[in-house]
Amino acid sequence: MSSAQIEIQLIASLVAIACAIPGTFLVLRKMAMISDAISHSILPGIVIGFFITQDLNSPLLIFLAALTGIITVVLVEYIQKTGLVKEDTAIGLVFPILFSIGVIMIAKNANDVHLDVDAVLLGELAFAPFDRMLVYGVDVGPKSLWIIGTILLITVALLIAFFKELKVSTFDAGLAASLGFSPAIIHYGLMAVSSVTTVGAFDAVGAILVVALMISPAATAYLLTNNLKRMLVYAVCFGVISAISGYWLAHFLDASIAGSITTMLGVFFLGVYLFAPNKGIIAVMYREKQQRIEVSLLTFLLHLKNHKEKSERHVNHLNEHINWQKVRSKTVLDLALKNNMIYIDKHIVSLTEKGEGFTSKAITYIITNKDAQIEDMKDDFFLFRG
Amino acid sequence: MSDKIAVKVDDLTVAYNYKPVLWDIDLEIPEGVLMAIVGPNGAGKSTLIKSILGILKPIAGSVEIFGKPYAKQRQIVAYVPQKGSVDWDFPTTALDVVIMGTYGSLGWIKRPRQKEKKAALEALEKVGMLPFKNRQISQLSGGQQQRIFLARALVQNASIYFMDEPFQGVDATTEIAIINILKELRKAGKTVIVVHHDLQTVPEYFDWVTFLNVKKIATGPVKDIFNDDNLTKTYGINYKVSIQE
Amino acid sequence: MDITEYIKLVFTDYTLRTITLGTAILGAVTGMLGSFAVLRKQSLLGDAISHAALPGIAIAFLITGAKDGNILLLGALVSGLIGTFWIRGIISKTHLKSDTALGLILSLFFGFGMLLITFIQKQPNANQAGLDKYLFGQAATLVERDVWMMALVTGICLFVLLLFWKEFKILLFDADYTKTLGFNTKFIDILITTFIVLAIVLGLQTVGVVLMSAMLLAPAAAARQWTNSLSVMVFLAAIFGAFSGVVGTAISASENNLSTGPVIVLVAGVFVIFSFIFSPSRGLLFKQIRFIRNRRDLQLQKTLSFMFHIAETHENIGHPHAIKILNNFQGFTKGSLQKLVQKNYVKIHGAMWSLTEEGFKTAANLYNQQTQKNE
Ligand SMILES: Nc1ncnc2c1ncn2[C@@H]1O[C@H](COP(=O)(O)OP(=O)(O)OP(=O)(O)O)[C@@H](O)[C@H]1O
Ligand SMILES: [Mg+2]
Repeated sequence: MSSAQIEIQLIASLVAIACAIPGTFLVLRKMAMISDAISHSILPGIVIGFFITQDLNSPLLIFLAALTGIITVVLVEYIQKTGLVKEDTAIGLVFPILFSIGVIMIAKNANDVHLDVDAVLLGELAFAPFDRMLVYGVDVGPKSLWIIGTILLITVALLIAFFKELKVSTFDAGLAASLGFSPAIIHYGLMAVSSVTTVGAFDAVGAILVVALMISPAATAYLLTNNLKRMLVYAVCFGVISAISGYWLAHFLDASIAGSITTMLGVFFLGVYLFAPNKGIIAVMYREKQQRIEVSLLTFLLHLKNHKEKSERHVNHLNEHINWQKVRSKTVLDLALKNNMIYIDKHIVSLTEKGEGFTSKAITYIITNKDAQIEDMKDDFFLFRG
Repeated sequence: MSDKIAVKVDDLTVAYNYKPVLWDIDLEIPEGVLMAIVGPNGAGKSTLIKSILGILKPIAGSVEIFGKPYAKQRQIVAYVPQKGSVDWDFPTTALDVVIMGTYGSLGWIKRPRQKEKKAALEALEKVGMLPFKNRQISQLSGGQQQRIFLARALVQNASIYFMDEPFQGVDATTEIAIINILKELRKAGKTVIVVHHDLQTVPEYFDWVTFLNVKKIATGPVKDIFNDDNLTKTYGINYKVSIQE
Repeated sequence: MDITEYIKLVFTDYTLRTITLGTAILGAVTGMLGSFAVLRKQSLLGDAISHAALPGIAIAFLITGAKDGNILLLGALVSGLIGTFWIRGIISKTHLKSDTALGLILSLFFGFGMLLITFIQKQPNANQAGLDKYLFGQAATLVERDVWMMALVTGICLFVLLLFWKEFKILLFDADYTKTLGFNTKFIDILITTFIVLAIVLGLQTVGVVLMSAMLLAPAAAARQWTNSLSVMVFLAAIFGAFSGVVGTAISASENNLSTGPVIVLVAGVFVIFSFIFSPSRGLLFKQIRFIRNRRDLQLQKTLSFMFHIAETHENIGHPHAIKILNNFQGFTKGSLQKLVQKNYVKIHGAMWSLTEEGFKTAANLYNQQTQKNE
């Protein structure tokens, strides 16, 4: 590995971490699309900053661009408050308009501004190591590394300092307000950090990858855990692993690094989406099937308990009257027999003592709305699950 | 009231996300009654109506309308949903909403014409909302909105009406106006099923009642079964309602 | 270049005519279908789909090896639809919310498309691989064939829209009720979604991925402010969209260095801002004016009823009282007194005032009116 390669991977990893942290909170606060809006609407800020400084990496430019990000959020919220359009329409209107203003500002000053809009959106990590940071003439590494490193440091410091506030205001804004943290300050603080991170990262990886790095690792992590700390750790790990593996994918395919990193993010998300132990699609479908059978079983038992008359308890009644397909009624019957809930005497089905107990308990729980206890109860009563 | 059964529900079990909310409901509603469904919040009253109307798919059980499955009898069933299920800011006027009641009988593609519009205006007249026919629906008060949805059901010219809390957020005058319309429907031989919360008015408004709380507690004529025993069974706490004769 | 000259040019110059026509048709169809997206609360779907179309374009290119516009369009359509239904799958099957699902599909599909395109072109630099064309679109590359294609799709859209108008309308308004009437809501839903995706894909070449969302939303959001009828709204949105296309093209054609897409979006944005402020029934300006006027009326009424209560104490309602008494009343000003005199409710004799017959009646009625209004 050449030193340029190492530097690229380092930059990509730092960007991934810096994005994953605010991203986790954006996902939890149902504001993921705001990051997409910010990543586009910072353009006019970048352009104005570039007019003034002529340097994409100057702190002033970062400040101005981040300010545009905040303005976007404020504007969106203002439009939402007027009630003239629905909430998400406001987002979808504001960012393309701000972005267009940026594009036109560049076009009108094409002679003075050598700023490539595509580069803002797509970025080019491969070039990042060439822009060096010189301190008194000494090369201390790529500029992007320093910028993103600084942003990351600030983000982590803020995260540690305000972790409790962030957590409370994310999960219970009302409680946060009553505890004396202003939800508005946390909200705009988070927006500010997201904007600054977006601006700091776009030069290296492009605005669209920033969006991917903010949302995907957090969403992937969220499918694995509900614990905030763990979710942060997982998100950071997914981000970094995708960044490094994405770099090598690009290397071997000779393709865009940003595109490859995003693709790796997608691969990880897809994997977790399918196979996550509790919330993955396969687990969910399996559980749904199991629950469907078990609910059918409950229904069946309740039916037996409700009806003393024999005609209602005939085996064939299951098919005719309760209106189930043959397969399901057989599964349910088998499951009930296996679990010793019923016995069949001359085609007439009756509850066993155990079945009676189980059914009565289940009814009580459902009427008093204690659904969770039904699941526990199933563990007590069932020898075999559906 | 005739001897015919308008709605027959058999062993109906319904679950959201596999959490059962209605269990093994057997219910027979005779033709020509004005029936209240009562039960605490979350008892499954809306769920019962929705599954009778095929909006929700039950896990088990069957529903028959005059002896045939619902899908075959749609034309003779009308529905007033519980408030809040629609987009209030939708660009549509009161008259427009009422005309929607005719869409079912029109079927696919065919457009409402003068005849449908006339029927809609008549229905608006009946609920006393004619002066508001060109109002955007969010600019109506809660009670007025409720009356618009009642008119939309009336225009369907059905034999059976299902209404999910038509008296919610309605003042006393409007409530009387609505109940008079419902009584008129019953006089015309229609079956009307209403989810109702105000227990005090049940004996005054209805002739038939169903107590529901996850299971069916009781169903029958108000004068026979509307008593403290059933109320206690349904609401859990000791209920005392003085029934006016 | 003045306007008449420009208009002449539109009719004579092939390129300009094609672009103008193309953007006008595009604006009309996105405005039309955008109305449905806005009303379905799927405003951001447009943004997600336009990004999600990219891998489809790349794969279509990879398979056919040709840059035939229509095949690429088909690829974009397929991939846009996959993206849309995947978004729904994520929302319904996991606990991730719609914003996360949208953002995920948007960025992941786009990144994957970027990988494919750079891989095909063997150009590690994404800008050089021709990706920028899809980012902002290039209206200048429109040819007559594209315009025909757009016209055809718009025609089909319009036909389907008119055919299923009633069904679309009722589904958007009240989905559950639609089901009870016996309509197949899934079918209607898929139909609307497919056409929205189609309109988005159609616009990619002209306005590009990034700005597509505004093309879809801006005309609809502006149109909503002027009417309470769905048909008028859809019609207005189509007009606003087409107009934005034509004007945007004109502005960008008459200035150097201005790409068409952003200008069109800004023109559409002006429509939105204008509508938000100046719409007579919903606009912010008139709302503010109404608010101020109501407050002033209320103040006047309060002053009048204060006077009424003083006048009541005398048998003769026209009995004069000192103006000084009124100073005790909060909200009393010289101006409001003047207003009352103008309305002939009050008479002034030097430092004294008295209620007129008319003023007394109005004040007496005030209470009843107020309660009536609240009903
Ligand atoms: N879409 C849904 N998903 C999951 N659970 C639901 C859903 N709708 C209702 N429930 C649950 O089903 C139960 C019955 O709800 P339903 O709306 O039928 O009650 P209800 O008797 O109409 O109550 P209310 O008087 O408040 O209208 C409640 O416990 C409710 O939490
Ligand atoms: Mg209900």
